[in-house]
Amino acid sequence: MSLLSRTTASPPGVTEPPSDNLVVVPARHPWRWIAAAAVLIVVAQFLHGLITNPGWDWATFFGYFFEKSVMDALLITLELTFAGAVLGFAGGIVLAPMRMSKNPVLAWVSWTFIWVFRSVPLIVQLLFWANLGYLYDRLQIGVPFGPGFLHFETSTLVSAFGAALLGLALHEAAYAAEIVRAGILSVDSRQLEAAAALGIPRLRQFRRILLPQAMRAILPNAANELVNLLKSTSVVYVLAIGELFYQVQVIYGRNGRVVPLLLVATVWYVILTAALSVLQHYVERRYSRGYVR
Amino acid sequence: MIELSGVHKSFGTLEVLRDVTLTVPAGSVTVILGPSGSGKSTLLRCINHLEKVDRGRVRVDGELIGYRRAGDKLYELSERHILKQRAKIGFVFQTFNLFPHMTALQNVAEAGGGIELLERVGLAHKAHSYPRQLSGGQQQRVAIARALGRQPKLILFDEPTSALDPELVGEVLDVMRDLARAGTTMIVVTHEIGFAREVADTIVFLDEGRLLEQGPPTEVLDNPQHERTRAFLSKVLV
Repeated sequence: MSLLSRTTASPPGVTEPPSDNLVVVPARHPWRWIAAAAVLIVVAQFLHGLITNPGWDWATFFGYFFEKSVMDALLITLELTFAGAVLGFAGGIVLAPMRMSKNPVLAWVSWTFIWVFRSVPLIVQLLFWANLGYLYDRLQIGVPFGPGFLHFETSTLVSAFGAALLGLALHEAAYAAEIVRAGILSVDSRQLEAAAALGIPRLRQFRRILLPQAMRAILPNAANELVNLLKSTSVVYVLAIGELFYQVQVIYGRNGRVVPLLLVATVWYVILTAALSVLQHYVERRYSRGYVR
Repeated sequence: MIELSGVHKSFGTLEVLRDVTLTVPAGSVTVILGPSGSGKSTLLRCINHLEKVDRGRVRVDGELIGYRRAGDKLYELSERHILKQRAKIGFVFQTFNLFPHMTALQNVAEAGGGIELLERVGLAHKAHSYPRQLSGGQQQRVAIARALGRQPKLILFDEPTSALDPELVGEVLDVMRDLARAGTTMIVVTHEIGFAREVADTIVFLDEGRLLEQGPPTEVLDNPQHERTRAFLSKVLV
């Protein structure tokens, strides 16, 4: 603005310096400073409340943060997350190509599976699996509609942990299938045409050409789903499994310190999510080969 | 030797190829000319069964492509067999279609080739570059090296220079010229008339799915018999 005002104010050709060494003055942004200051005040007030409010009871928080029963519960949360993710994505990798298959039976079965397991709330599903014994008191393996060879008592086969894992895995598989399908759809169809023209066998096309490229679209969504799964494990508290959320409830049921113990669970979930985000960064970098100059 | 006899192909109600009969001797170069939409690409894609023909036969070295004959019936081959047949027929796409997550050398290796093929197209020094780090012309040369990986009996080129900047066309045509000199059987869809005149043994003119005219370049380019060919050439040869 100073340049402009000087040019218009001064008579032409009198005080103007030679045009090749004019100084550039960057535009100023006073509102950025004002907005930043306003937000910082609010944040400072919040942090002050967090530290000084005795209700948070930081002593109890630190007393239980690394406590043995909390650590054991954390391990169960991690086990459920890991097993749920592995089984879920294994299911998704089978269901996605099924849904895209030219075989109408496979496509229909996959579509129906995804529809059902995306429709039923996780908590409802978990209770169903835990009560499977009411529907079928014995399970058997054998000829379809014919005689069976192996018999199980449902209640011994499906423990609470088994029911939780089954529920999480089926729920995850439905979502993972859609994530994998989105990844496959994101790959240019000409890639498979090029692979077909080279006579590369079908399975190798999927493994070497399609999946590595689909991974770029799959990974951000898969990481999202994994974080979601980590938090969803808290729902299995309804089956009285000693995961993180269940365990802190047991403790505050005993001592009445609700807020600091909820905070223990919260901070652990935040830390685990941060760890997953770091992992995501490195895995995504691995699959970006060839996409950055 | 490649033989097409009475090839028909429709997409829905649109007839793309009508009764195309063509013989390409081993070691020769055939250039297919024709206006856009005349069925040139479809014809190429029928030769390696990327498109199924509705009627007629395609034979490469006497072997029926895509089908097996038993008595008076043609049985469609399984995908596994078709993939095996395709391995003997190289295909070079207009848009290169290199695998972006693999280096130039990995692309060629995926087809069973090695560094010597990159050397042949003058790109051994780019072996460890990813497609995105290469110019269009270089990408197409890698794609040609990849097509050579299976030691094909025949290479099909679908407008290999149409997606390139004008100054990059020459390097790709040079590679194709070398292949032709080495006795590679080639069928080329292109609009590069100069290349056709210089390299082709036979020029074929396709219009609305019909093969209107074929012969050596001097005949088809300089003395076209058909009105449509004359009209097309007058637009292309400016």
